[in-house]
Amino acid sequence: MTTTEPTSVGLSEKAHTLLSSMKEDGYISELTDGYKLAIGLALANGMTPGEVPAPKRTILAVSGLDPEQEIATAIRSLVDLGEGSVYRYAERLAEWGVMEMAARFKSGFLDVAALIKNPKR
Amino acid sequence: MILKTLSLQNFMPYKGQTSLNFPTEKDRNVMLVYGDNMRGKTSLLNGIRWAFYGNALGRHSRPIPLLDLINKEAASEGDWSMEACITFEADGHNYELRRRAKRRPLVTTPSRSEDFEVLRALSKDGIPLGDHLIDAEINRYAPEQISRFFLFDGELLQEYESLLIDGSEQGKKIKDAIEQVLGVPTLIRGRDDAQTILKAAQKLQSVDLQRLGGFEIQAQKQKTLQAQIEALEEDVARLNGNLKRTKEERLVLEDFLEKTESVYQAKERLNAAQKLEQANSERQTALSIERLGLIKDAWRELIRPSITLKRNEIYAQHDALTGQLLDRNKIETKISQLREALKTDTCQTCGQALHQEQKDVASNELSALENELKNLSFDMTAMQRLSSQIQSLDKLLKPSEAARIEFIDRDLARLRIEQTKHDNEIESLTDLIKGQDTAEISRKRNLRDGLLKEETRIEEDIKKSQYAIDKDRNDLAIIGKALENNPQARAARSSKVVNISSALERVYTRSIDRLREDLKTKVESLASEAFKKLTTQVKYSGLRINSNYGLTILDEHNQEVTIRSAGAEQIVALSLIDGLAHAGRSPGPVVMDTPFGRLDPKHRANILTYLPSTAQQLVLFVHEGEVNKTTDMRQISQKIGCVYEIKEVNPRHSKIDRVTQ
Repeated sequence: MTTTEPTSVGLSEKAHTLLSSMKEDGYISELTDGYKLAIGLALANGMTPGEVPAPKRTILAVSGLDPEQEIATAIRSLVDLGEGSVYRYAERLAEWGVMEMAARFKSGFLDVAALIKNPKR
Repeated sequence: MILKTLSLQNFMPYKGQTSLNFPTEKDRNVMLVYGDNMRGKTSLLNGIRWAFYGNALGRHSRPIPLLDLINKEAASEGDWSMEACITFEADGHNYELRRRAKRRPLVTTPSRSEDFEVLRALSKDGIPLGDHLIDAEINRYAPEQISRFFLFDGELLQEYESLLIDGSEQGKKIKDAIEQVLGVPTLIRGRDDAQTILKAAQKLQSVDLQRLGGFEIQAQKQKTLQAQIEALEEDVARLNGNLKRTKEERLVLEDFLEKTESVYQAKERLNAAQKLEQANSERQTALSIERLGLIKDAWRELIRPSITLKRNEIYAQHDALTGQLLDRNKIETKISQLREALKTDTCQTCGQALHQEQKDVASNELSALENELKNLSFDMTAMQRLSSQIQSLDKLLKPSEAARIEFIDRDLARLRIEQTKHDNEIESLTDLIKGQDTAEISRKRNLRDGLLKEETRIEEDIKKSQYAIDKDRNDLAIIGKALENNPQARAARSSKVVNISSALERVYTRSIDRLREDLKTKVESLASEAFKKLTTQVKYSGLRINSNYGLTILDEHNQEVTIRSAGAEQIVALSLIDGLAHAGRSPGPVVMDTPFGRLDPKHRANILTYLPSTAQQLVLFVHEGEVNKTTDMRQISQKIGCVYEIKEVNPRHSKIDRVTQ
């Protein structure tokens, strides 16, 4: 059975607000960058995230987020999805990652270098 | 001349009435007036100067406007009158000189010096003298031209150092002042008069020669040269006037610029800080943009360790499958060889024919291998899948520059700290120059620079004109010499006048040179005597004077000492002043304002011992840093006639208390 992949992905209202603030504050130039960073952070932490809390806001087209399916490859390589949708899983990873990034904001500064050095809490 | 009293009313910081009694006893002729900086020591000196000559001098010996002499506090209370009165004794007569400035009628609040009228009165033994006699009477005992040598301040001592620098503007001014003291201008004026007479005579001579006939060419030449000289002299006079005006204008600007120097410097620093801040800001923007670009790929760095592990795992699976494939290939090759051997009855290795026994062995081996091959399964799809996964993961693991983010963050942090420093500096400098017209300061600075260039240009023009005048005069002299040899021309009356006035001019010129040489020798000798008393270096043999009246120290071998300390400069300057004071007038009082600034205790002691013995009175306006009330005073305690102290009532009001009776 082939899983139908979504054409767009999103976040919870709260995570969306946080990610938008990061863009407004100039820490990321596009929401896509923050979204990918959040997925990367969650994967690096080996998280098995829960569902995205409702209400969910669709914010990105999958074709824009992952035009070469690199994110999908990374997720599939690191997570046994079974029959599950990779981009639905990506959404859950992003949700966790955005919340984690917000928690790690040190004096209002998103220290990406520190995230790279020590992704795990 | 002996000073007796000084009374000031509303003069500079001395609000109301202030009086001083000078020491009049011959053996106790030193007066000390102590006062901290900004309390009014120089104002006292100016009080004496204003009483005598009606002017007061500020920095760089520039006149202080009358409006600035009146005590500000008294003026704010509506009292716009000011007075200085000095009493002195000279040649057995008692004098009282009073100068008073008051607001002109119909002026309510004076805003310029012209809003005041100045009155003066001099009485001799109680009898008032007519106004037309006052200047002559003052000049008998305290000529204004030499006042800078008996009424002087510490700043003046520094000016004397410029006498050693050839061509310095200040040196030229002081040289003129010195020559004024020594009487050289009297002879210079005589020479100028002789030149005027000579010129007039040469004109007449030209007319006469034309009349005589046969001398038309010389007469015409003479006339042309005279006209040229006159035109050139007019040019020089005009240029000198321009030079004077330009200098005056520049000095006013210099004063303004000096006062606003700190504002100008602050503005320059502000501009520099703003430029640095802008460069910093641009660098931060560039780094931030680069950082944002790197963040796009940062997610790859986050998963790089996990993906690397995964890739290694898949690689291991892939390797295992590859091993299986190789084993299978080996068996297949062996089967193929056995089958061929059985088919051809020939060994595939050595090419010899196979016996039955060997064939049986080969047949058994073939069966066993075929069974083994049947049991060896190989998943080609898995192999392809793993290869594809490896390829995808390798793509994810391609190198990124996201690691540079750390360095950029470090740079940005450093730049932000620098920016804060710049911002703080900009803020404080902006506060400092708030309300100041910095554009006007820059404009005046440019104007000053322009005037300096203009001065150089005018000076060059004067030199050129002066050179042309000298050349024309020389040509005139050659014509004159030629005419002297001609009996007919010599007989003309005008030629005789020319000869006489020419001789007179030469006499004056030679006399000026001789007087200068004599005076220099005299000043050199007097200054050397003073120097030997004042210096603490016993090996110094004296001083040598140069053409500018600058003095160089001589060592024990009469060799010039080229390097000298600031203190030594001051001693040399004091020696020169002492020499000039004695060469230019009869002994009188010496009033010194802050004269010991750079001197050590031994030099101070020498001065305090020497000067009271050469001056009739020695009045010293000092601060405690210059003359120690206990140690220095001990040196001259026997000589001290009185001590005063200036005390501040408020920044616009000082008073003087007598410390000793």
